[in-house]
Amino acid sequence: MIDDLQLARAVRETALATAGVHSMGSGRYAEAATYGAGEKVTGVVVDPSSVRVHIIARYPLTEPIPSLAERVRERVALRTEGRPAMIVVEDLEVEQNENL
Amino acid sequence: MRIFNRIIVVLLLAALVALGIATVFYAFDLAGYRLANLPRVLGLDGFAQSLSSFVNNVENRNLNPLDYVVLGAIALLGLILLIMEFKPPTPRRVRMQQGTYITRRAVRDEVVEATERNSEVLQSDVDVAAQRRPGAKVDVTASVRRGEDTSRLQSEVRNSVQQHLGRVGVPVSNLNVRIAESDPRQTKTRVK
Repeated sequence: MIDDLQLARAVRETALATAGVHSMGSGRYAEAATYGAGEKVTGVVVDPSSVRVHIIARYPLTEPIPSLAERVRERVALRTEGRPAMIVVEDLEVEQNENL
Repeated sequence: MRIFNRIIVVLLLAALVALGIATVFYAFDLAGYRLANLPRVLGLDGFAQSLSSFVNNVENRNLNPLDYVVLGAIALLGLILLIMEFKPPTPRRVRMQQGTYITRRAVRDEVVEATERNSEVLQSDVDVAAQRRPGAKVDVTASVRRGEDTSRLQSEVRNSVQQHLGRVGVPVSNLNVRIAESDPRQTKTRVK
């Protein structure tokens, strides 16, 4: 049994390691993070009943956003110790060499 | 609306607590307080008399039409607040699939990009609402110069937004496009 902070770290690493994920989101009105002693993990909110993951997708997309989110959810679900994972796509980040 | 309801409930509970404490003081005649003096102490003599006469009128079935209207309005307001409290809140994020969401801002950015890709659109105002079912409700207002073919532009903007959102995979359940003729001096872009 790992604590919330360790779980959040593992989930964050898994999400960031997914192709198509640019970075973690930080929430809009309230910060999306898991807090621990002297540390916080931004982009992952661990609740007793669920884990919410905020991501920023890389643009141009290699697949539709719902597919990317579903792929992240499947990968993240392996690390959430049975808690349902919820993926929130916060934004799309355009690569610098994209002339949009 | 939930916040409004919560404020009302908080005020009601605060009033109940204050009344409860006051009632204990007055009921047990603590510190020389007497219940009959309460309206005078609170400076509500006039109100207490009006309330007393109103209750007497109710008991005697002697209400005037205005009283019926006010009582009906209060009951109606309570019913509306009750129904709104039971209604589930509108979600903040757009649902894509089971357990996957996209923020309204991200959808808005994509719609703005797709709309302003059209060279005749000088500015776009986009409103995105999340719904309980999958997909977003999108309202687009595209500003164009006066004299443009608005029906053609409306169709082009609609197609452009639908194609772009389809490509990135953002589900839209309801797309409304409105073309507004505007003065270019008042829009974000004057010339494209």
